[in-house]
Amino acid sequence: MDYNAQLKLQALLDGELPEAEVSEVTNWVARDREAAALLEELRNTRGALAGFEAEVRLPESREFFWSKVEREIQRLEVPAPKPVRESYLALFRRFLVPASAVAAVLVAGLMLTRPTGPYGRTAVASIETALAGSGAFTYRDYSAGTTLVWLSYPADTEVAENDEMGTIE
Amino acid sequence: MAAFEELVARHRDRIYARAYSMMRNEEEAVDLSQEAWVKGWQRLAQFQGESSFGTWMTRIVINLCLDQLRKHKRHRAESIEAMSEESGGVERQMPVVTVNPTAGLEQGELRQRIDQALGQLSYEHRTSLVLHEFEDMEYKEIARTMGCSIGTVMSRLFYARRKLAVLLADLKNRDSV
Repeated sequence: MDYNAQLKLQALLDGELPEAEVSEVTNWVARDREAAALLEELRNTRGALAGFEAEVRLPESREFFWSKVEREIQRLEVPAPKPVRESYLALFRRFLVPASAVAAVLVAGLMLTRPTGPYGRTAVASIETALAGSGAFTYRDYSAGTTLVWLSYPADTEVAENDEMGTIE
Repeated sequence: MAAFEELVARHRDRIYARAYSMMRNEEEAVDLSQEAWVKGWQRLAQFQGESSFGTWMTRIVINLCLDQLRKHKRHRAESIEAMSEESGGVERQMPVVTVNPTAGLEQGELRQRIDQALGQLSYEHRTSLVLHEFEDMEYKEIARTMGCSIGTVMSRLFYARRKLAVLLADLKNRDSV
């Protein structure tokens, strides 16, 4: 007897066999002693269980059990506390304080990384004349660390003087 | 609340008994039946009266027990019964018990033996049997409740019945020696 046939016997017993198969399985049981014996065993077990569930009683008094149930119900029914609305001052503080801190760090960083020179932190570049009337100019770029000197030749002052004398030497 | 207290008082043994039949542990059965009553209160508005209040509450406790048993199973190795079910079904090779092992027993004695035998089944087999025999559920309903196929329900029921027949016969033989 295959497993499927065994399950069909059980379905017949439980009234769960499709109607189309009932007569077929019933005829088979009538012919097959092994099938009939198995069906009888299943029927006996089912009969033994029917109405013979062990009588079990809750091992706690009515009052005690109810008090536990009631306490739990009340605990779960307490509404969850509503979130407190933050005041504008609190919000201002919450966002302003970190923002101020970040700003302070940025400013400090900028101050430290900006180039410095002998003429103060704000001197980025300057142009100066080295000698009065010499026509020499010095360009200093402190951020790039370069110094450029250029000379105008003949010096502007000399040209003016020579023009007055009418000669060029 | 007073009316609900009255309902608890009226059905508390039935709900506990179902929890106990599934869990086989007094403490867990008490906790789960208490939890079922709390859930029952919370879902009271959903009770439409399609079944009796006791049946409705029993469904709640059955679901709670199944959840708990699934949690247990995750932490435990499979039982021998469950393994044999998976590995091909020893129930197919079991010799048929030809004598009714419960014939001639007193009611109290029969209850005790059945309870003892049920305790030796795995939770899947015991639950299938409990839902079918004690809660009168059809295969389809058991499958839905236990989250498995109808074929699995049939297989579990078949194994549980055959195993139970053997266990009851063993108990009878032991007593008669």
